[in-house]
Amino acid sequence: MRWRKLGKVFDPTEVILPSGCRDYAQAPQALVFSDFIRVFFSTRSREARSEKYLSHVAFVDMDRSLGKVLRVAEDEVISLGGLGTFDEHGIFPLSVVRLGDVIYGYTTGWSRRVSVSVETAIGLAVSHDDGLSFERVGDGPVLAASLREPFLVGDGFVRRIGDVFHMWHIFGTRWSRYSDEGLPERTYKIGHASSVDGLVWEREEGRQVIEDRIGRDESQALPVVIDISGQYHMFFCYRHSDDFRANPTRGYRIGHAVSSNLRDWARNDLDPQLEEGPEDWDRQMQCYPHVFDCDGTIFLLYNGNEFGRYGFGAAVLET
Amino acid sequence: MFTWRKLGKVFTPQNVPDRPWMAEFAQAPATLVLDDVVRVYFSCRPPRDEHGQYVSYAAWVDLDRRDLRRIVRVAERPILGLGSVGTFDEFGTYPVSVIQDDDCVVAYYGGWTRCESVPFDVAIGCARSQDGGTSFTRLGDGPVLGPSLDEPFVLSGPKIRRFDGLWYLFYIAGRKWKSVGGRPEPVYKIRLATSPDGVTWTKLNQDLVESRIEADEAQASPDVFSAGGRYHMFFCYRRSADFRGKANGYRIGYASSPDLRSWTRDDSSVGIDISDEGWDSEMISYPHVFNLDGATYMAYLGNEVGRYGFGLAILDGSLG
Repeated sequence: MRWRKLGKVFDPTEVILPSGCRDYAQAPQALVFSDFIRVFFSTRSREARSEKYLSHVAFVDMDRSLGKVLRVAEDEVISLGGLGTFDEHGIFPLSVVRLGDVIYGYTTGWSRRVSVSVETAIGLAVSHDDGLSFERVGDGPVLAASLREPFLVGDGFVRRIGDVFHMWHIFGTRWSRYSDEGLPERTYKIGHASSVDGLVWEREEGRQVIEDRIGRDESQALPVVIDISGQYHMFFCYRHSDDFRANPTRGYRIGHAVSSNLRDWARNDLDPQLEEGPEDWDRQMQCYPHVFDCDGTIFLLYNGNEFGRYGFGAAVLET
Repeated sequence: MFTWRKLGKVFTPQNVPDRPWMAEFAQAPATLVLDDVVRVYFSCRPPRDEHGQYVSYAAWVDLDRRDLRRIVRVAERPILGLGSVGTFDEFGTYPVSVIQDDDCVVAYYGGWTRCESVPFDVAIGCARSQDGGTSFTRLGDGPVLGPSLDEPFVLSGPKIRRFDGLWYLFYIAGRKWKSVGGRPEPVYKIRLATSPDGVTWTKLNQDLVESRIEADEAQASPDVFSAGGRYHMFFCYRRSADFRGKANGYRIGYASSPDLRSWTRDDSSVGIDISDEGWDSEMISYPHVFNLDGATYMAYLGNEVGRYGFGLAILDGSLG
């Protein structure tokens, strides 16, 4: 697989964002229309009192070659949850799937904890206006911590294949302290669940579907699955569980696996081979991949340095 | 018609020596009837930590089967340690409910974690004992019953029962966090889930008991008992604000059902109220009903939700 890089295609600091956000355009997720591509992403504001971040969903509409910004969301796409709910302190990411006239948006809700920084769970919201706005189906999550996926359930990516809704998501396996002064850092892996209606999920409780490549402390995030020429491909990102924020040798890289049955995945991180070496914006980190098909053209969206603080870029699969 | 004749407080954690983790509280009594004793599980607390925060441990006391006012022994250590960092039960195991399952004892418990915007969240965990209910091991690091679309937080107060081969988990689920004088207070309602095996649960997704004293009434401790061809639920309820004193604090309520799913509330029939004076003169809560040698008993908490222990009452008349 050869991918031709298009470079950085969207910089959130060059536009006006809703919800008082200034930077971050993380985890881009595409919804293809006949004359444009709507890319949802998570951006951030700061809470006035605490100075802590809140993640909000916004979108940018781009032309179908991803060369031009047509429109940026003026309003909040989905509100944050109420007091004490799982998505009170942020929604990151929002993963969308079109089902007839409606769009299901699977959210990863963030809420702050005391002994660890955060807990997450996956919620569901529905849009009846092509993704301009989403309403949550309930105040609680559709997938949360369970016996063998004990915390940090998130990054749900959903596709209906045949009669079955498949969800690939991540779940936490460990909170570890790597130094006396350091805060607990998380490790998470990719799992799978299935559903007949997209609401009630049967999970493969605790089964890690993608093997580790850099050891037990590998954290894996944001799976996306796509059928390319009759084979299923999963893209995701992975990193070490500590010293990953500023050390480029331990930060996020994009991983890849293939499957013929959606159950058994063979990992092959040689893909995606991005045609030229990293540019400045993605030299230290490449993360949060999203791969989609636009009338036969396969695009890769991904974030670069600082987890997407200054936007996202794209690449095209060369056939 | 029935009433509960009070037998007084039977267990006071402050009287138990050499257990700093059991300094105070004996909350949410739940029984396991053994050959010579009635083992009463409860949750207790060491003193507050340097941040003024509590943790809670589950433990038990064995009461003499022939004289329930006589204490035979008290657990030497908690039945379960606290969960590891970042897990749902890192800061507490309260309340606990147990059931015999072949040669195991299975416990369901509320696991407590601490949050930033609200003080805590709770989800229901499960643990098994192979030594007759003395110590327990978790089935997994996560909960068996956690939040869902219509039950967004605070899943607690489990009461495990088995009727006709099906497992029933009565519990409470948070409805909202209500800001009362700047302090978030949880409102919760009684709910039900069923399971063929005690591990995989299907939620009914309905409130079982209507709210009576206000829409934001908080309901807890849904203790279900079968007698006279019907099901009886004793539970407790309180107002949503200023509930830490006598006026708005917990009282015990009653409902009955032919099928475990549809319940008719009738608090006027409950047959127990606060006393004029003494350990249960301000509130009564966390009822648990059990049969023993031809009599029916209720264990319950008094003032300050069990800070000074639990008491017993015996049924006069019959449930039916």
